Formats: sequence, C-alpha cells, structure tokens
Amino acid sequence: MMDLKRDFANRDELIAYLRDEFAEAAAVDDHVSETRGGRAAAEAQLAKLGKGKDYEASRNYVHGPVSRLSAYIRHGVLSLAEVRDAAVAKERLSEDAEKFVNELAWRDYWQRVYAEIGDGIWDDREPYKTGWDRERYADQLPDDITAGDTGLPCIDAFVRALYETGYLHHHVRMWLAAYVVHWRRVKWQAGARWFLSHLIDGDPASNNLSWQWVASTFSAKPYVFNRENLEKYTEGEYCKECPLYGRCDFEGSYERQQRRLFPNADPSVFGGEDRRSFGRGRGRGRR
Amino acid sequence: MTLERTVVWVHRDDLSPLSPALVSHPDAPAIFVFDDELLREWKISFKRIVFIYECLLELPVTIRRGDSVSEVTDFAAKHGSNRIVTSSSPSPRHAQIVSQIAQRSEGRLSVDIIERTPFVHAPRKLDLRRFTYYWNAVKDNVLGS
Repeated sequence: MMDLKRDFANRDELIAYLRDEFAEAAAVDDHVSETRGGRAAAEAQLAKLGKGKDYEASRNYVHGPVSRLSAYIRHGVLSLAEVRDAAVAKERLSEDAEKFVNELAWRDYWQRVYAEIGDGIWDDREPYKTGWDRERYADQLPDDITAGDTGLPCIDAFVRALYETGYLHHHVRMWLAAYVVHWRRVKWQAGARWFLSHLIDGDPASNNLSWQWVASTFSAKPYVFNRENLEKYTEGEYCKECPLYGRCDFEGSYERQQRRLFPNADPSVFGGEDRRSFGRGRGRGRR
Repeated sequence: MTLERTVVWVHRDDLSPLSPALVSHPDAPAIFVFDDELLREWKISFKRIVFIYECLLELPVTIRRGDSVSEVTDFAAKHGSNRIVTSSSPSPRHAQIVSQIAQRSEGRLSVDIIERTPFVHAPRKLDLRRFTYYWNAVKDNVLGS
C-alpha cells in the first residue's frame, strides 16, 4: 500500500485530496467540520476554558460556556488529566471546578466500563424500564429522521447540525436521543450507530452508554424532556416562530410525557421525582 | 545480543505529539492506519476523517490506509523491526489487532503496550455499576483535595 500524502499548501488542498482518497465517505456526505484537528488547535481551545462556576450555571444552555474540547479528548490529543489540571489551575478553590471535572469523570467512567465489558457496550446493559419490551422498538431509524424531515423544526435543525458540523451540544444530544428512542420507539443501537458515524468526538463508550442512559437500559428510568425545557435551554431559538407551538409532540408536563410515552411502565420508576431530576447532574461528559 | 529495532503504531485514541508511545521512542519510525474495515463498519463520515487527518499531520507518522494488521506488519518488516510499541486503548479492536500481529508474524514481532496517563489513580477496585459509586470513590483524588 502507498503512503498517503502529508504535504499540503492549505486546508482546501488537504480536503480536495481527501475527497479523492476517501471518495466513498465523501459520496455519502462531504461536509467538513469547522473544528480543526491537531494539538495546536486543541491547545488554542483549551486556552479559552472559562471559570468553573460560569460553566456550572449555564452549561445546559445550548449557547452556554461549554469547553468544545470533546473531539480532542476523544482522540487523545488532550488527556483528561491535563484538561482537569488546566480547569483546576484557573480556580482559587479547586471545588469551583468540580462540576466541570465531574463531567470529565463521566468520560473516564465510560472508558473504564468499556475496558471491562468491551463489545458489551452494544448490548442492553439492563432491560428497558419503559414498560415496552425491546422487541417493540424498531431496528432502524425512520427515513424522515435521517433526512431531517420530521416536520419538527427543532429536531430537523439538530439533524442538520449533526451532518454539517459533526458536533451537538450535550443537551441537544439528549433531546435527539430521547426523541429517537422514546417518541419514535427505535432501538438505541440504531441511534448510537448514527451518532458515531457523524460526531467528530464520536467515541463508542461515551456514545453508546449515554444512549443507554437515555433509553433506560443503563439507568433507573428513561430520560424525557418537554417543550418548556427545550425552549428554555435553546432560549426560544426554535420555539419562537414554530408553527407547531402549543401543539407539538413535546407539549405538557413531564408527568404527561411519561403517561403518554410509557403507559405500561411500572409507576415506581418515576415515583416521587420531579422534572428537575432530568436536566440536572446528568450530563455525560459531552461538551 | 540482538539489537532491538522498534516501530511505533499510533492509533486514533492517542493522536497527540505527547503520546507516550511516540515520546518514549522519538527516533523510531511510526505509522497510522486508516482501517478499511472500521471505516466501513462504522460508516465513518468524511468530516471525521478530515479531523483525524489534521491531527496526524502534526505527528511524525507515515499514514496508510488498509488492513491494520497487514499494514503495521509490513511497516515493521520494511524497517527491519521486531518490536512494535503502541499506547493503550480500551477498544476490543485494539486488543484484537495486537494479538493478530503477534499471531501472523509467528512470534517474530512483539507488541508492547504503553499505558497512557490515567485521569485518576483509583484507590481500590472501582464499582462501575453506576457513575455515582465511581465518583464517590475517586472524587477526592480527582480534585486533589
């Protein structure tokens, strides 16, 4: 086999070369991410890391101060330890970096689980707690989802962003995953394969086990959201002018979503917990 | 005494110039392989390939495409090497490639795996059934408090 080329005058020349060398992939989707690979780009991004308390307060907003380091961490361009050290060094009290470091720890946790179970990350770790057997979930993603043509402006915009940028904010990943698994009742594995194909930071462990967390096959209950939650954390970006406002698939309280989506679920799965438990402290090391 | 000639196999979990495999063997020839089977099986999108390629351009590596086992073995033979060094990965595919290299070369090639810097030195065997158990066990060490 020939060695592949290493010298390029600029990024355009590199991309043109790769479009020829990897023509099969480019034929499917030839978008290029704005996120540049390499240690220099990684260090520049790391230098922009903000204060821990700001991160903690606003990380769930899609335009919040997330680090955008996930692609570099996933490929080992930056180690978790050095990102942690950089975050702690910015603080007078190391505790102020705790939430951010906790999110880094999610990734370490997924990697440790992966080392232990290997390809078992593709199997349901536990049964679904949704009241539906796994046979009731479709094997494949419906075409309208992969085409970004569901008619739901928020979901379709998330799909376009996945294809065009290879990056989704962690909250968007949770909404999209919940929509696929719970609203459309598709096996989480189909969604996980889809994300792995496109996310620049796609890592089988973090990705699959997070999908399992949403699905409830690696958590005590399924993750769902509602329009109010999406509207708040996108700051109205999609809801403001949405023709479906007030009558979309996500309207109503969390209790209503649960009753509608999981009529056969054991009530104790949701017992006594209010909606705040869905949006807080459940990030999966995705930034 | 046999002189040990080493090549480094760089994989996509460790694309840093500070990779322990590269740093510990600064003069050894190094290779990265875009594995055809993996590209196909995971339908790795073009944008992911571009990102990885940009990472590789900052590393002192020969870049190839094909079957990882064949390409790494061939690269080692080309450089008259009998030892391959790579960094650790939790991926079962990594372990598979390592064992196939040793098998196919009928013991002529050894593969040494260097551990990457851990995020935390676990104080004891960790309970990984839920994140909370793990976090409670490592939190103090992770934050250095």
